[in-house]
Amino acid sequence: MERWTRLAFPRTYMDRQRRAGFLFVLPAVAYFACVYFVPLVESLIGSFYRTLPGGASRFMGFGLYERVFTDPVFWNSVRNTIKLLALSVPSTVALALAVALGLDRLTLRWRSLWAAMYFVPFAVSLVAAALIWQWLYEPVYGVLNHALVLVGLPPQKWLQSLNQVLPSLAAINVWVRLGFDTMIFLAALQAIPGEYYEAAALDGASARQRLWHVTLPLLNPQIVMVCILELIFNFKIFDQVYATTQGGPAGASQTIIPLLYDTAFKYFRLGEASVMAVFVFVVLLVVTLLQWRIFRRPVDY
Amino acid sequence: MRGARTRSVSLARWLTAALVAAGALTVVFPFVWIALTSLKTPPEIQRVPLQLAPDHWGNLENYREVFRRAPFSRFLLNSALLATVSAVSSLVVSALAGYGFAKFRFPGHSVFFFAIIGILMVPFQSVVVPLYLWVSRLGLLDTYLGILAPDLVSVFGVFLMRQAIEVVPDDYIAAARIDGCGEWGIFWRVVLPAVTPALATLAIIKFMWTWNEFFWPLVVVNSPSMKTVTMGLIGFTNMYFIEYNLVTAAAVVSVLPILLIFVILQKWVVQAAVMTGLKG
Amino acid sequence: MRRVIGGAIAVLALAGLLAAAVPGHAPAQAKKIVYWTHWEQNPEFNKWYETKGKEFAKKSGYEVEVVTIPYQGYEAKYLAALVGKSGAPDFFNGIVHQWCGQYDFCDKMPADLEKTWSENLPKYMLAVGQFKGATYGIPIEHGNFQQMYIDVELFKKAGLNPDKPPKTLDEWLAAMKKLSVYDAKGEPTQVGFALRHKGHPVGITDKFLPFAHAFGARMLSPGLDRATGFANGPEMVAALQFYGDLVTKDKVASLAFGNPEDAFGQKRAGVIFRESWYFGWLKKNAPDVAFKVYALPCAKACPGAGNLFPWSNLVYKNSPHKQVVWDFLRFISNAKDDLEQHQLQGILPVWTVNLETPYVKGRPDYASTREMLAQPVPPNYYHPKSNELATAFGEAVVGVLYGKGQPKPSLDEAAARMDRILKD
Repeated sequence: MERWTRLAFPRTYMDRQRRAGFLFVLPAVAYFACVYFVPLVESLIGSFYRTLPGGASRFMGFGLYERVFTDPVFWNSVRNTIKLLALSVPSTVALALAVALGLDRLTLRWRSLWAAMYFVPFAVSLVAAALIWQWLYEPVYGVLNHALVLVGLPPQKWLQSLNQVLPSLAAINVWVRLGFDTMIFLAALQAIPGEYYEAAALDGASARQRLWHVTLPLLNPQIVMVCILELIFNFKIFDQVYATTQGGPAGASQTIIPLLYDTAFKYFRLGEASVMAVFVFVVLLVVTLLQWRIFRRPVDY
Repeated sequence: MRGARTRSVSLARWLTAALVAAGALTVVFPFVWIALTSLKTPPEIQRVPLQLAPDHWGNLENYREVFRRAPFSRFLLNSALLATVSAVSSLVVSALAGYGFAKFRFPGHSVFFFAIIGILMVPFQSVVVPLYLWVSRLGLLDTYLGILAPDLVSVFGVFLMRQAIEVVPDDYIAAARIDGCGEWGIFWRVVLPAVTPALATLAIIKFMWTWNEFFWPLVVVNSPSMKTVTMGLIGFTNMYFIEYNLVTAAAVVSVLPILLIFVILQKWVVQAAVMTGLKG
Repeated sequence: MRRVIGGAIAVLALAGLLAAAVPGHAPAQAKKIVYWTHWEQNPEFNKWYETKGKEFAKKSGYEVEVVTIPYQGYEAKYLAALVGKSGAPDFFNGIVHQWCGQYDFCDKMPADLEKTWSENLPKYMLAVGQFKGATYGIPIEHGNFQQMYIDVELFKKAGLNPDKPPKTLDEWLAAMKKLSVYDAKGEPTQVGFALRHKGHPVGITDKFLPFAHAFGARMLSPGLDRATGFANGPEMVAALQFYGDLVTKDKVASLAFGNPEDAFGQKRAGVIFRESWYFGWLKKNAPDVAFKVYALPCAKACPGAGNLFPWSNLVYKNSPHKQVVWDFLRFISNAKDDLEQHQLQGILPVWTVNLETPYVKGRPDYASTREMLAQPVPPNYYHPKSNELATAFGEAVVGVLYGKGQPKPSLDEAAARMDRILKD
């Protein structure tokens, strides 16, 4: 209580500092509290109620949680989500880093041109990207198989195959998100003051050492952020899966959010959908906190 | 000795450039394919074996049909408006919040930050019905403000700005304080100029993000005149089949404005970095 | 830097002005009733409501406004709007057992209108607008049951007579074998049957049901309260075995072919089972395919005219204008309007008497539709949980197609799951 009064009525210099910080974040906090907090709480409460035929609700305690967590279909979707994550996230982050480093070395004109190209996929909405890739993956008249056949390789089933569907979806993901992450890394690279590189060069550091000891540590905040964001977005993947495979074939590409959507809006089990949402939230929160603690390094000069 | 080193350096340079270029072309290829398809008629698209080029390069019938079937130009205007407002509001609020989180310690600091990041972890599908009910009660259905409601500030923006501002050396800020600069002045004159690349990045990303929003506008918009570009595009699919000739044409139309904005802002990002003399 | 922020504020101000100045939507002038539909593939059909609405306005003062909603995501939008009351449609296109059964959003049909429709609908459609004995909706779609499309050219090439289609499943299978062409590795380059094997399991179930019904099987008990013994009964196992063999043993259907509609349109499949909208698609996308439409082949029973998605027009219970809506529906509930609206879009009208008009007689599916409508009505599964049940069932079907399991155990599992869903 004392701390909050001192926020409102600062006495010391440090108090004024704290109040300034608080005021800076206030607009954002207020916005999120108003727009998202209330629906979130309503959704959380919903996880304890069941909608009955006719529209009434019945309080279930943790009954719905039990139902969801004992459902093999749910755990199948969790498994698929994790598999997809494992495929998409490392490749996206690594590729984005590599491309950003490469772009950084180029002159302005070329950099603008190639960077714009990497960004094009992000300019297409997720749904459009899904439709387009579905068509590219078409086993018979899709361009991919056409190209494969041209070089003498056998055509693949891609989204139609039990084994290939997740990697194929992961490829779509990487395609869509590469530009986004590259831009973030590029912006950060360009903000690194040139003096650091000069100082390192004076100290006799090679290019690789400069990369390891100067660039990457300074990029650490962005790398952590990109990893966290990629994890979150991939965990919550929906549009691409829903517009292409809808969880098929035979549940091989069913991830959590498409299942949540179906549960809520096709099976009319809003309570169970809320349980899944709580699950997603808790898992992501834990993982993010872990990532934050483990991988962050204070940036020292 | 020196000659050999510069030669290997420029070889490395060339290789890098070539790889980057190859990657870019691979990434852009699906889009080229879409553009080509948008010039084909439905029977052409169905044709087996596959043909890369359309029969008639000047066949703009699909584009005409896209604008004929629905007020697509209105959709473009709507999306542009929404994306711009959202980008600007996001910039302002995120920059403020990012600074507050990066450089200050106050009660509730970590809690607020993780609460905001936590919003990102909630699946939107589970929040959509309660949020819709609120928007409906406030009479904001089918209005620009209603469509913008969940998009005015982005969590990603706060995160990005915090990470970007964190790297600004504390000495600069301390020096400004010693010079007697007020908090607002420091923000305006020291911090913001130092992170213009991140600001431009955020603007572009937020613009595109809002431009491509699908689910929320779907739920909140009823009148054809308020629809967005993504809704227009989905209008060429239905429960039975997808009209690829129209979807691809619409996709091309919806991407061109964004690319334009990107090209403009991208140059500015680099210019800004050069101007402030941070990149040696 | 100042310039930038100044510029940003200018942009924001301009945007704000624009947002305020440009009206969101035209302020309501005439009074109107709002209709929501997700039938984006039928724009003329939808527009007709508005045109007719202008006529209606002369009598009642109310016009009709049609809002088209993307099919993808429509359930969420409907739910949010119908729960929220304000912003909800006055009447809408939906499935009765979902919006009137699972939820309570529908108004009961007035008795006089109910009588009109029950006298004029084909017998298989009577159940479409009803739930638990009460009538809520007007069926709008006819011809959403599958029929057999054959490729005339491919039939001739295989030595089959395109005017004498197979009538039984055994004959059909023999024809499929003749129509399939294989390459050096034994993989089909042309298949007899274009099979749907991808997408949501509900769709898979929908496409498999004619086979199940032909074998005399049914997915649920007649009271729609049990799955075990039916979904995994001996007839169903036999049907699924037959279906799976098409891919694995007989190789007359293939999982390597993408969309069945495309496969048929590209002349790589000789036969497809599709609803009547399909020949419109063929005319547009594959105009050089010569086709004929026939009734589905029978085995123990005939598949008949059945469907999983009975679309009908429903009236929102909480609409302030619901009396006006019923009046409008009365206004258009006659043979002439029914014919006019459906003919505009090129789909089959709903009134029995319209099925003998020149328009319908001139359609490629006229004879086959008549034949199938004369057959006994197949089982229907109009249960509030139909989506979930069909999904559980569909997973078994897909599993067998992809070789992930054998029919009996997969169906046993599906039936157990379906019972759990039903009991709940």
